[in-house]
Amino acid sequence: MTEEPYRWLEAMANRREYVRDQLKGGSPVFAASLPDGILLLGVGGGQSKVFELFDRHALAGLGHPADIEKVRQAAIDAAHLEAFTRAAEDVSLRRLIGFGLSPQLKTQFDQIFSAPFLVELLLAELGAEPGRDLLFRLHFDGAFSVQSGGAVMAASQPEAESAGQSWLNEALRDKTSRAEVVDLLLQAWWCQVQNKWLAESVPGPAQRQTGWREAVRGKTVEIGWLARHGPRHARYTPLTLAELGL
Amino acid sequence: MSDTKIAGDFLSLLAERHLLPSDPAQARGAPVETQATTVFAFHYADGVLMAGDRRATAGNVIVTDRVEKIIEVDSTSLLAVAGVPATAFEMARVLQTSFEYYRRSQLQPLSLPARVRALARLLRDNLPMTLQGIGVVVPLFAGVDHGVSPPQARIYFYDPLGAQFQAVGYAASGSGAGTIRSVLSFQERHAAAKPSQMNLREAVRFALALLNTASEFDAATGGVNPAAETYATIKVLQPAGVETVAERQQEEFLHD
Repeated sequence: MTEEPYRWLEAMANRREYVRDQLKGGSPVFAASLPDGILLLGVGGGQSKVFELFDRHALAGLGHPADIEKVRQAAIDAAHLEAFTRAAEDVSLRRLIGFGLSPQLKTQFDQIFSAPFLVELLLAELGAEPGRDLLFRLHFDGAFSVQSGGAVMAASQPEAESAGQSWLNEALRDKTSRAEVVDLLLQAWWCQVQNKWLAESVPGPAQRQTGWREAVRGKTVEIGWLARHGPRHARYTPLTLAELGL
Repeated sequence: MSDTKIAGDFLSLLAERHLLPSDPAQARGAPVETQATTVFAFHYADGVLMAGDRRATAGNVIVTDRVEKIIEVDSTSLLAVAGVPATAFEMARVLQTSFEYYRRSQLQPLSLPARVRALARLLRDNLPMTLQGIGVVVPLFAGVDHGVSPPQARIYFYDPLGAQFQAVGYAASGSGAGTIRSVLSFQERHAAAKPSQMNLREAVRFALALLNTASEFDAATGGVNPAAETYATIKVLQPAGVETVAERQQEEFLHD
């Protein structure tokens, strides 16, 4: 197959279609950089979606739990080995993703006789100041993008993700309160799962708020907080809606 | 050590990647090693106070008076190191990484018995260095036991071969430990102000006095010298976690 270019391209396209089809319906995850830290959010039906990786690093993802787990474990192994053999300050997502996770995902995706990873991920690295926060979007095929600060969303459908991302960047501008940001992220989550982004008009704030509150009933809202300042090296703490007054 | 990787075990991961920190079969005829003394821990009203002087010596030479011998391993564990700092600090680093690695990878904290045994395992692995007379470490460990309700801070002490013992009221290690243990024993049994009933202020003042007493009888123990801004390293472990009693706070307590 590999010596026939057309069949190779067809096989790759089929795999891409297969992965997107498998991920369809996955619950999106979010990360947002704030003056005091980075918020990560996901809504799940029992399986965890938001994880601590290292002192200043966290991951959120959607997809098959076993595949998320493999990526998470690989990232934790690499981060702790790096911190132990060098120093905690040397653990960086740029290296972890660029030289570790991304090539592994790409290799797995290119091996057409083995199953690809069914994951869409975002990873966050806390900086000393908001301008140095890094948010990475890592795809199932190893492709990744990075942005400094702002907000990032990971969803299963690229068009809807792009539309939701634009809305988020506008809605979160100048927002600094964690409760306010979580509320907006959950509004974005509701719009995404209800497929509202690509509709003619996005529902109004009241409808979005009522919508997410009804939709999360019976589900688990996972919120991870990477605090910019604190007495300990490990800056990650899980938060609940109740703690945020929501 | 087994080559089989155990889930959440950082030492197994290090062994798999051939990154285990020390080869014990080394260093015959090494120079006089740096030593660190004295450390102790006792129960006070709100938890456990762990303190240490800041002097490191090599033979009769004072190497430095700025060593941190009380180490926060994680948010609910403290380690006090007495012995050779090179080995002790490496053990602390292994423990710090191991506990956090387990918590993050297994999505739950390591139990107190497992944390206590992890240190015993490092001491056992250090046995060849101990038998050669170099690299001896005799640490103290304090951790919060979440297996009881309400959670309680507990103190453990070890022998150089890795045997572990739970201390009922207090424990001490290092060359000044004899003096410290004697005073603590007397105070708890016969004095009106029992360490286990002291509040934080009283406990810190008592700990600083203990170190000064030990330094009068042991040249390797650095005392407390406000004029030179030399204080102790003091950390307290409460069910809610670890807190450091900073030098400025120690100074305030001393001058009250």
